Amino acid sequence: MGSWRTARWSKFAVSGALALGLAGAHGAAAAESGRLLETGSSLLYPLFNIWVPVYTKSHAAVQISTQSTGSGTGISESVSGLAQIGASDAYLSNALEKQHPEMLNIPLAISSQMVNYNLPGLNAQHLKLSGPVLAGIYEGKITKWNDPAIAKLNPAVNLPADTIVPVHRTDGSGDTFIFSQYLSDTAPDWAKTIAYGTTISWPSVQGGLGAEGNQGMVNSVKQTPYSIAYIGISFKGATDQDQLGEAMLENRAGKFVLPTDQTVQAAANSMVAKTPKDERISLIFAPGADSYPIINYEYAIIKSKQADVQTAQDLKTFLDWALRGTGGNAASFMQQVSFVPLPASVRKLSNAQIAKING
Amino acid sequence: MNFRTVLATVGGIVPASMIAVVVFLTTYAWPAIEYNGVGFLGGMHWNLGNLYADPIDLSGVQILPGASYGIFFLIVGTLLTTLIALLIAVPVGVGAAIFLAEAVPPGPRVWLSFLVELLAAIPSVVFGLWGYAAIVPLMAQHVFPAMAHALGWLPGFGEPIGSGFGLLTSGIVLSLMIVPLIAATLRDAIDSQPAAVREAAQALGATRFETVWRVLLPGLRSVLIGACVLATGRALGETMAVLMVSGNALNTLPQTIYAPVSTMAAFIASQLDSALQDPTGLAVRSLAEVALVLCIISIIVNVCARLLLAGFGARERRGL
Repeated sequence: MGSWRTARWSKFAVSGALALGLAGAHGAAAAESGRLLETGSSLLYPLFNIWVPVYTKSHAAVQISTQSTGSGTGISESVSGLAQIGASDAYLSNALEKQHPEMLNIPLAISSQMVNYNLPGLNAQHLKLSGPVLAGIYEGKITKWNDPAIAKLNPAVNLPADTIVPVHRTDGSGDTFIFSQYLSDTAPDWAKTIAYGTTISWPSVQGGLGAEGNQGMVNSVKQTPYSIAYIGISFKGATDQDQLGEAMLENRAGKFVLPTDQTVQAAANSMVAKTPKDERISLIFAPGADSYPIINYEYAIIKSKQADVQTAQDLKTFLDWALRGTGGNAASFMQQVSFVPLPASVRKLSNAQIAKING
Repeated sequence: MNFRTVLATVGGIVPASMIAVVVFLTTYAWPAIEYNGVGFLGGMHWNLGNLYADPIDLSGVQILPGASYGIFFLIVGTLLTTLIALLIAVPVGVGAAIFLAEAVPPGPRVWLSFLVELLAAIPSVVFGLWGYAAIVPLMAQHVFPAMAHALGWLPGFGEPIGSGFGLLTSGIVLSLMIVPLIAATLRDAIDSQPAAVREAAQALGATRFETVWRVLLPGLRSVLIGACVLATGRALGETMAVLMVSGNALNTLPQTIYAPVSTMAAFIASQLDSALQDPTGLAVRSLAEVALVLCIISIIVNVCARLLLAGFGARERRGL
């Protein structure tokens, strides 16, 4: 009897240990050699989707899965180790960086953001909007499209008397981060009361809508007349196809500009020299007569200490490829999503950070 | 180990896990409960604070400047959507049950009942997607304008009609999800009433409808209440479908029945990733506190139903 009991318990012990071992191995399953998980920014997602098939053609041993979940999720999953690449339009805050000093913020490209609206009959015209006007709209202080503040910027346009429906992101969003930075830089009362972040406390506006992801923003504006939203430039194809209006935003020099390669490049040129070694810098509201005010680095948030050597190596090879002018930063990729490739000085800084990744 | 001990252990896992969930939620949310205090339930503002500023120390607790957590708009949103869902689902469910039990010939009855029960098998995210793609545009373009035109004089039914995402749409989608619970349970119960009761009523000259309405249904009060409680529980906790059609209002109460709302379950699901951005961890714990409040509301609903049932049981025993 005694030996039978011992045999039974030892069988339990062995199977228990096996189960624990499997569970432990599964915890690092995403980091199995040859598998990388990218999650996060919906603004960077279209670029990753055109990168991955081309990359895997020449590097068949690596499988990269992509997800569009929002920059907030990109940051949190990279910090927790669930994803190897956290795509984010927002760099880590000082407090998060202090809590997790092993996190790297590596720019992969320069992107920008549009402000789109749906005004029946007026979508072909580019309305002129400024930061203070947008802040007023999202605070609920400017409620009608024919408000004097908007009419002053657009004297030749027959603005309707309808109520504005501001749409914001409900998920932790890098687009919210850069849009709220623009509002903070241009409207002092916004900076004082709301400030900026991947999630902010949106003032309650009657009829205001929330949407998930850039695609959700596009759908909301398309379905809702008299709405306005901030949408990443990589969705320009979708907004053009749905014939949504695109606003000209007021830059630091007081001129109203659209996000084109030329205006984004002009803004980038005036700001890149100030990029620090850890590459956490806001490119919003850049000086220059031709500069577009809402541009940003597209970051890959990476943990410098990866689960194993193979994953670290796969990650470094992919990021090296992504940064090269012959690889991911080639004009053929950038043009499809309306991004601008990284300037050489920033590429050097990014490469220096990639060298810190180890397994 | 004898059979009784094994049975007790396995049987005890169910209530033990329920207690464990509540205890876990309370301990995990305790720092948030302490910080938020009673103002949590009445506060109108959910604010994570300035995520990019440095945390400050407020009497021993690390918080982000500007952080304050109030969920009154969530409680209102949850209760209102559940109420509207029940107001639609109970009459429709009871009607469907009576129809299936009495008016349908035995042939079609089988597969019609099957179709009604199949409605309960559809995953909630499928309802959400269908609501998003089909119901929301239908409401926005046809139903809401007609309603505002006809019922605009009623408070809460007038302009603005919004975009189709909102309280009434969520209520309608939720009601479709809980109707099968009520209809199937009640239909089974009506069917299982002894034929003698039916025959007695008809012998006294009651019509088919009177038989059901005045004789069979009153005896099934407890079943109806039980089904409604199940339905309420499902509606209170429904996450995905509501998330996709409710409009996700933040910090606002709905002014009209067409306005966007937010419910507690949908809020937790949509705000978790944002809350993880808070380096102090207070935001995630406050979300756990929201989950705890939802749990407690569900428990209260169930306890009230039990008391109602006990009340009816007592009246029946007294022969009323």
